[in-house]
Amino acid sequence: MATTQTTTDARGIVEPSGDDTEFVFFSGKGGVGKSTVSCATATWLADNDYNTLLVTTDPAPNLSDIFGQEIGHEVTEIQDIDNLSAIEIDPDQAAEDYRQETIEPMRELLDDEQISAVEEQLNSPCVEEIAAFDNFVDFMDSPEYDVVVFDTAPTGHTIRLMELPSDWNAELEKGGSTCIGPAASMEDKKADYERAIDTLQDSEKTSFAFVGKPEDSSVDEIQRSASDLGELGIESQLLIINGYLPESVCEDPFFEGKREDEQAVIERAEREFDADAMATYPLQPGEIAGLDLLADVGGVLYDDDEATVDVGSATNVDTEESVDFDPLTDPDAVAEKLQPVDGETRYLFFTGKGGVGKSTIAATSATKLAEAGYETLVVTTDPAAHLEDIFGEPVGHEPTSVSQANLDAARIDQEQALEEYREQVLDHVREMYEGKEDTQIDVEAAIANVEEELESPCAEEMAALEKFVGYFDEDGYDIVVFDTAPTGHTLRLLELPSDWKGFMDLGSLTKGAAPAKGDQYDNVIETMQNPDKSSFAFVMYPEYTPMMEAHRAAEDLNDQVGIETAFVVANYLLPEEYGDNAFFANRRAQQQQYLGEIKDRFETPMMLAPLRGDEPIGLDELSAFGDAVTGLAELTDKQTAEVPHQ
Amino acid sequence: MTQIQLYEEAMCCSTGVCGPDPDDELVELSAALDQLEDEFDEAEISRANMQHNIEAFLNTEEIYDLVQENGPEILPITTVDGEIVAKEEYLSYDELAAELRANQSQEA
Repeated sequence: MATTQTTTDARGIVEPSGDDTEFVFFSGKGGVGKSTVSCATATWLADNDYNTLLVTTDPAPNLSDIFGQEIGHEVTEIQDIDNLSAIEIDPDQAAEDYRQETIEPMRELLDDEQISAVEEQLNSPCVEEIAAFDNFVDFMDSPEYDVVVFDTAPTGHTIRLMELPSDWNAELEKGGSTCIGPAASMEDKKADYERAIDTLQDSEKTSFAFVGKPEDSSVDEIQRSASDLGELGIESQLLIINGYLPESVCEDPFFEGKREDEQAVIERAEREFDADAMATYPLQPGEIAGLDLLADVGGVLYDDDEATVDVGSATNVDTEESVDFDPLTDPDAVAEKLQPVDGETRYLFFTGKGGVGKSTIAATSATKLAEAGYETLVVTTDPAAHLEDIFGEPVGHEPTSVSQANLDAARIDQEQALEEYREQVLDHVREMYEGKEDTQIDVEAAIANVEEELESPCAEEMAALEKFVGYFDEDGYDIVVFDTAPTGHTLRLLELPSDWKGFMDLGSLTKGAAPAKGDQYDNVIETMQNPDKSSFAFVMYPEYTPMMEAHRAAEDLNDQVGIETAFVVANYLLPEEYGDNAFFANRRAQQQQYLGEIKDRFETPMMLAPLRGDEPIGLDELSAFGDAVTGLAELTDKQTAEVPHQ
Repeated sequence: MTQIQLYEEAMCCSTGVCGPDPDDELVELSAALDQLEDEFDEAEISRANMQHNIEAFLNTEEIYDLVQENGPEILPITTVDGEIVAKEEYLSYDELAAELRANQSQEA
């Protein structure tokens, strides 16, 4: 098997080399098998007589399923494996604890109303990052273990965590309090943070590993994340590509083609990714749980064993019954959520983790809506911006027409947006000092100060949001489709207007803010909350982690901004006509099982979209693909819709 | 050595550059404080806001009493060597500079 290049170099990376505790971090998006690989690695280390601790900060941990044992928020010994303990940290709980710790001393001085105002302020992404990082710091002092394996939060988030400590130290040295928060009261933690950063940057003590799928988008994202880490002096040492199609099960051209694409991606990753080691593990017919399969994964990754793929038996689902996805859907209910009501502009938001195909779904929906006669604008906020690839035409910062009638597309360019925002703020500051010539203030120094402050992560969020809100004022569209950034980021963008409104009402932060801006955000939030004007759709593929992540994001959206999910999109459904063997029968049955769970969990209409041989490119392919997607063939023509019903 | 201490409301970002619009008052204040620190060797300036430096409020009886009596609306408070010189509003660069000069001539 020349294509599955399992090297034992991976072993040298995760295996402790000295007397001091060593740390292994696994980074990667949800659904790539990060938990599996972390568990397998921890198990392998324990089996090799290293005293091992496994830490997960996954908000929807499934360690209990994998080990067949309840774990929870305390360090727990794994029953059937010597030398192995594990802990699941709930990031929401950690953030809440942090908030309460911060507020407690204020109770003495402030009344309930004032306290709740402060509480509102602490409900910020920054605070969640701080709380999450504290957990890392806590476990980075664990002398009783030979090795600590972290099954970290998804990639973008992880990067944030890693970036923050350097920022914090810079802020602490300045002595101010900033958006990132800590200031003097955190001074005592400074030493801990510094030690944590040193450890993270010390490749003798710490190993960074990425887990991804054999897909270009997955490898691209890993490369971006790895280069971010590289800028912070953190070297990515190991790349694990998980879930490639085993050769033995790809008997027809459809899956043979898929397999060839995957192998090309693996070769590309090997060529381009500057890691010390790389390893691969195949897709299994069912989910990886239980100690035998974990041992198989560990053996393949670190001992150069051959993978065992038992094609027929590994799932607990009934594969005898033929699988039919259609009864799970109601196409008209989906179509209803896509179209404008009473001639008001409809805003469609497709959200979900990277790699779930939401750009394609957004572009396909936009194409079909335009075909039905609706003036449609499709906007991407995805930094990776696949829209150009999808439409096969250039897509710029401003809405431009693509060759389909009624259809325009635009891309929010993060850097350009940030530049525009910076200019806007600096202009504002310059204006502020105009007409104050008599002051002895050094205006240039003041501007330089502000300019420095704008080099913050907050400024980036702000800039993206400014642009995003701007698209709500675009006139002349029946429908605006947003192909949003991956969930966490999106949520932050959406939460921020509410947070700011909080600040504004409080009056403490933005005393001088123009009221017009507050009104603008009010309107945007109201529009997003109105189910006749806006539809939020979560795109996922029907597997455990993607489903849980999407559900959590949907709940956050509802709890924090009061927005209900309009429908869910289950993408990459295995087509019935290909893969006629036990392996794919198992996979299909498993997808059906999760479709049922998604339906129960979300209680919304479902849009189903099939796995394709190749991603649709160009308007003809998008249109053809749209015919196979629930609801898109059932759209009411705009002309028909405008004729009043009798 | 002259100690200027500011007591401020709970806020996320004391520089004023965080949010949809910069906060003019805070931007101006931050610039003023930076400049004063450069210009007056003997000046020591620090800021405490309720969110991040609650101990400064709890440990200073006069401030504690004022906030408890009047609520956070009494903030910001500015003190020079422990003496309250302003309540409910920030002092401008010129006012702060005057305070510092007055203090220095006293010492001299």
